[in-house]
Amino acid sequence: MKFRGKIIDIACLNHFSRVVTTIAKLTKTCVLRLTPDNLFFVLSGKVANGGVSMWCELSQGNFFDEYQMEGVSSEDNEICLELSPENLSRALKTVQNAKSVKVKLTKKHCPCVTVSAELPTLSSVSRVVTHDVPVEVIPRRLWHELKEPSVPDFHVSIYLPPLKTMKNVVDRMKNLSNFLVVEANLNGEMNLKIETDLVSVTTHFKDLGNPPWGGGSEGGADPEGMAEARVDIRRLQQFLMGQQVTPTKAMCNIVHQRILHLVVLHDDASLQYFIPAVA
Amino acid sequence: MPLSTQSQDDNDEQYILVASLDNARNLSNILKAIAFKDHAIFTATPNGLKVTVEDSKCLQANAFIQVEIFQEFTIKEDLVGFQVNLTVLLDCLNIFGGSTAPGLSTALRMCYRGYGYPLTLFLEEGGVVTVCKINTQEPEEPIDFDFCSSNVINKVILQSESLKEAFSELDMTSEVLQITMSPSQPYFRLSTFGNSGNAHYDYSKDSDMMELFKCTTTQTNRYKMLLLKPTTKALALSCKVSVRTDSRGFLSLQYMVRNDDGQICFVEYYCCPDEEVEEE
Amino acid sequence: MQCVVTGGNVKVLAKAIHSLSRIGDELYVEPQQDGLALRSVNSSRSAYACFLFAPLFFSRYSLPNGHDFRCKMAIKSVQSVFRSLATLEKTVEKCHIELDEQKNRLTFTLHCKHGLLKTHNLSYQDSESLQAVFDKEGCGNVFRAQPRLLVDTVVHFPPSLEEVSVSVSDNRMWFRNHVDEEERSKAMVTELCLASDEFDHFAVHAHNSVTFCLKELRGLLVFAESTGLPISMYFDEPGSPVVLSVTDSVLEGNFVLATLSHDDHSFQKNNTKGAPTAPPPPLDDFMNDDMDPYLIAMDTSMAPGTPEASSALTVCSPPQTPAANHSTRLHCEEEEEEEEETVDSDRPPNKKFRSLFFGSVFPSQMSTQPLPDQDVLASDSEEDDS
Repeated sequence: MKFRGKIIDIACLNHFSRVVTTIAKLTKTCVLRLTPDNLFFVLSGKVANGGVSMWCELSQGNFFDEYQMEGVSSEDNEICLELSPENLSRALKTVQNAKSVKVKLTKKHCPCVTVSAELPTLSSVSRVVTHDVPVEVIPRRLWHELKEPSVPDFHVSIYLPPLKTMKNVVDRMKNLSNFLVVEANLNGEMNLKIETDLVSVTTHFKDLGNPPWGGGSEGGADPEGMAEARVDIRRLQQFLMGQQVTPTKAMCNIVHQRILHLVVLHDDASLQYFIPAVA
Repeated sequence: MPLSTQSQDDNDEQYILVASLDNARNLSNILKAIAFKDHAIFTATPNGLKVTVEDSKCLQANAFIQVEIFQEFTIKEDLVGFQVNLTVLLDCLNIFGGSTAPGLSTALRMCYRGYGYPLTLFLEEGGVVTVCKINTQEPEEPIDFDFCSSNVINKVILQSESLKEAFSELDMTSEVLQITMSPSQPYFRLSTFGNSGNAHYDYSKDSDMMELFKCTTTQTNRYKMLLLKPTTKALALSCKVSVRTDSRGFLSLQYMVRNDDGQICFVEYYCCPDEEVEEE
Repeated sequence: MQCVVTGGNVKVLAKAIHSLSRIGDELYVEPQQDGLALRSVNSSRSAYACFLFAPLFFSRYSLPNGHDFRCKMAIKSVQSVFRSLATLEKTVEKCHIELDEQKNRLTFTLHCKHGLLKTHNLSYQDSESLQAVFDKEGCGNVFRAQPRLLVDTVVHFPPSLEEVSVSVSDNRMWFRNHVDEEERSKAMVTELCLASDEFDHFAVHAHNSVTFCLKELRGLLVFAESTGLPISMYFDEPGSPVVLSVTDSVLEGNFVLATLSHDDHSFQKNNTKGAPTAPPPPLDDFMNDDMDPYLIAMDTSMAPGTPEASSALTVCSPPQTPAANHSTRLHCEEEEEEEEETVDSDRPPNKKFRSLFFGSVFPSQMSTQPLPDQDVLASDSEEDDS
């Protein structure tokens, strides 16, 4: 089991750092899954039990100038590590101006993902900084819990408005209520609603568009008909807080009264986030 | 941009008060200056809107938004009054983030149907519309501080800049803020008496920060620090402040606030003195 | 006593007080012949700092008439005099410091722009002289660097980090966060290596490693950065204090920080005392891409249940340092009543606070009495015969 990667391009480094920071905003620990082509950050909460789950996929070639790995075995050519994305994010943030950054699986006082960087100096010798992020190696027999979640059989799929606008609205609604209802239809309309003893607030978004794969598997659904999910506002806020870069596409799928499935697509990375609906 | 959803099912006819602003910040900003308690009493007259917040029967803050500030102000009665939760109202007014970016403002239409009905806000920014219905209560009678200019003993008008510095440095371990106004030295003095000693801030009457100095009698009064603390919110937004005391030692602080469109609004605080102080 | 500070020096004074506030809760003020001394010490006496402002720093400096005077006061209250640090330079034109012994108060008067006069009358307590016993000139390892180098170094460590270890070889200096034994499997370890030519001065006598608190260093960095003064660092062996100083023609600042009496196991191994030719700690050499030594030999098939993953990890952690490794100079806080120096060997070796006691490695040259508490670095015993 070996892993080693190297990033030289500063834009790639910044981007990788942003992705990890986004993950860090969503969860305290997650699994980093390495395959020959991809890196995944995985959180496999049981949506049925009220937990959130997350699936973030990066194509290694878009981030790493060098990337070598040997998995557990030739049949199972993968490595799964549990780590704190916050640690990794902090390590990457302090090396933003590095000449190059290496990310390696190392054996130190415990298994670690070691981020080492060569920092520019005025002297002839580079300054070298290493961060050892402790990890826990996930044994092969637990890998089945880390499979990509299947896209749920949603009732409505809709593109999201600018995430910054959505974040502003959700931040204020968070001050007023603990729960929020997201509802949307196949006519490009989405509403965010809260209701308390003191106030009711509804924000109406329209002309958002619906992704071509459509929704309502049974077909012939009423385009005006709303599918809704009532969710813990903090979950949605966490998700929006982590989105630092405008994505190529952002959409949400709603399984009526069951799941809010958020999808953010960048050119070289994708993030899925599942928030369970509450009664 | 017109409020697209302004009245599909809500006919304007049914409202006794309709007020519109192109920029909701012109209302939310000035309300922030008095937001130290949740309960706010709204009093609308054909002259505009007055919003009152009180604390402990010892402090009262009023924000005045004259009719000229609004793009539309329709009132069907001589006086319309109701009470709402100010914190909730402010969150609603800033639902789109309250951005200060040029060219991006939240349009507001505020409607009230009368006793028992909610205060309804239609807010719109960049084509997105938010509708808020805030529950209202019957207004309480605001306290009459009976502060009239004929009883004013001392008065100074300062540029807010100079008072901001003092207020940001106030020793909060002091229970009171003592204000001395006098025709002779120290002219205008703010004093605190904290755990580790006392501090005096003296403003010269000839300072270029002093716009007006009209003190006739030496007066020293103490005011509870905790009561005065919220006034810093108004101070922060203002460009000038007038400090007045009357014969009973009551304090009036009037703040001149300039909004995004350069219009002037006023915020006023009244505060009871803490105790009689023997003059030193 | 009367002092007048003008112009940019007001900010220098304010920054010095601010950095002293990172050390302790009280400010010790002592007007001396050679200038105004401002000092502070932390509650466990493991950190001490002193600024001495020479008479020339002031536009007027006069001592109290005919007798020695010293006092202490809450440092917070002095900080509040200079609360708006950022705008101080623009707003304050002159600062008077005046002693009123009748009223037991020290008065700071700030003459500000627009004729605003701020008067702070601060009450004080009489105090003994606060004197630390340290001898930076006698230290074997001496370094000097521009503040930026150290600022760029500490930025790699999280604000919450308490202690940092510094180790040196002939031409390298390593900074590493100090991690307690029990946290080793979950804490992130950061190590930064600086080459000697990044320093203005780099003299190593012994390949040692010392561990001390980062908070106080950060405090001094704020001061050094705003005044642009280079920082000098002096240390010897683990257990003896590290001294950080800044100096120019009109002021001198010394921060004296306790170091861990005996460092954690792995570091000790790599920096054996008395073996100055020993190789530097194994560095993750960046140019060498050989990853084999770092392979994780983990047999996942052997693991029948979840806990195994962690049990596999414990194999890697070094065996517990035996208590015998204790330095005889350890001193225990709970036992402030001074006891025989070796009694603490029954204390759990992992106790965090063990790091924070000064071992007295210096003969108490400054104390004429063989006090039993000579280990305490900063002494404010009522006898000021030092």
